[in-house]
Amino acid sequence: MENDIAISVKNLHKSFKLPTERAWGLKQAIFNRLKGVKGYKEQKVLNGISFDIHRNEFVGIIGRNGSGKSTLLKTLAKIYFPEKGSIDVNGNLIPFIELGVGFNYELSGRENIYLNGALLGFSNKEMDTMYDEIVDFAELRDFMDQKLKNYSSGMQVRLAFSIAIRAKGDILLLDEVLAVGDAAFQQKCNNYFAEIKGKQTVILVTHSMENVRKYCTRAILIENGKIALDDSPEKVAKAYENLWK
Amino acid sequence: MAIPNFTYKGNRVLLKELTKTDFKLRYQGSVLGYLWALLRPLMMFAILYVVFGKLLRFGGDIPHYSVYLLAGTTFWSFFTECTNQGIQAIVQRGELIRKICFPKYIVVVSATLTAVINLLINLVVVVIFALLDGITPSWTWLLMPLILLEFYCLALGISFLLGAINVKYRDITSIWDVLTQALFYAVPIIYPISMIATTSDIAAKIILLNPIAQIIQDIRYCLITPETVTTWNYVGTSNFAIKLIPILITVIILIWGSWYFRKKSKKFAEEI
Repeated sequence: MENDIAISVKNLHKSFKLPTERAWGLKQAIFNRLKGVKGYKEQKVLNGISFDIHRNEFVGIIGRNGSGKSTLLKTLAKIYFPEKGSIDVNGNLIPFIELGVGFNYELSGRENIYLNGALLGFSNKEMDTMYDEIVDFAELRDFMDQKLKNYSSGMQVRLAFSIAIRAKGDILLLDEVLAVGDAAFQQKCNNYFAEIKGKQTVILVTHSMENVRKYCTRAILIENGKIALDDSPEKVAKAYENLWK
Repeated sequence: MAIPNFTYKGNRVLLKELTKTDFKLRYQGSVLGYLWALLRPLMMFAILYVVFGKLLRFGGDIPHYSVYLLAGTTFWSFFTECTNQGIQAIVQRGELIRKICFPKYIVVVSATLTAVINLLINLVVVVIFALLDGITPSWTWLLMPLILLEFYCLALGISFLLGAINVKYRDITSIWDVLTQALFYAVPIIYPISMIATTSDIAAKIILLNPIAQIIQDIRYCLITPETVTTWNYVGTSNFAIKLIPILITVIILIWGSWYFRKKSKKFAEEI
């Protein structure tokens, strides 16, 4: 793989087996087997997707609900295994499919940072070096020894978000998480993304064309599990808005 | 996911963090806290001792019957706790598995390790009881870690195998519940194996081919008295190979369980 390429995806296929109406239960299973009926329907979600993402590109992935964006992201994050095709990742990939995954409400903020770090593959020593930055960005230093359940929901997402962006990864995967918290914190998030634009590899799944235009250096429109358009943010955002006009 | 790689630092850190969290949160919000790890098996022992030892007089002429029973119930509690936690581990961490990629076996190992920690705490109580009951320490005590390892391998193998099936068919939890109840009576925990041997020699031998029975009897042999009937001194006196059946079952379950778990773990995120 060329050194300049962060992620190389080739001919990705993924489908899910969705159980049909009454496929559950032993009786129905035997019945289906006898009649030769498959108890499930095959749903093709990704249908031959290929692209290369270069280092320091900020790529927006857009598409309507059910077009396969999130599945693509989860496949990139190695949560799902593709049936066909390959994904080559060059560097350390930090997935944030949802904020606050793995948070434990009975643990303190500090403990949660280390637990979350371990889930992302960072050792405690590595987390030590990131700890201060995370706490400072979240502006939660006074609350670090409090249990997470005593945080307000805004404080919880601030902590999760800070871990996401301060974890030292090469590639950041984000699903619809950009600006969280109150207005002041949202502003801080926006500034942060404007700042890293073109300096870090980010893949963002979003529905907001405003964000695509503002932060992305490239956008990919996905329709029915295929790439419909892979171009500049402006062109792709227009194409997306024209989908239902 | 390749072969479980404990040398990779990230996996070790995650295992440590998850086990620590599990253990820390287990007794959260209870007044007696960690004490429950000791009290629960002790109370179970007390009930069984009163019913079977005092009322039904199962102990008979067994020396140190109370320690004999306590060792049995302690290790049995470990087995049920370990397998129950292990089997449910993947489903309980479903949210995590659907959102983050990490080696899935770590979740099962961390859940079962919590049970191991509990067992080690309880073992201290068993040893204290043994000393109070006039048992003198012997070199056979040093064999305990080996037997413990075998027991853990068996429980881990079962957790991997049934835990993987449990992702798709949650019936496993209920089936295992009933099965452990049956197993409790199928191994000599409350009754001495000599009681069975007097009615049917063959039945006693078959019981001793169960790895759980073999393990529990071995523990009693090492800890309490070499007079204990074990698989080694009772079964297959003419054919040594038969004695190895319990070990073989354990090894097969561990290998089969790990293999099956590894094969299925790719789809956990979709099926949970």
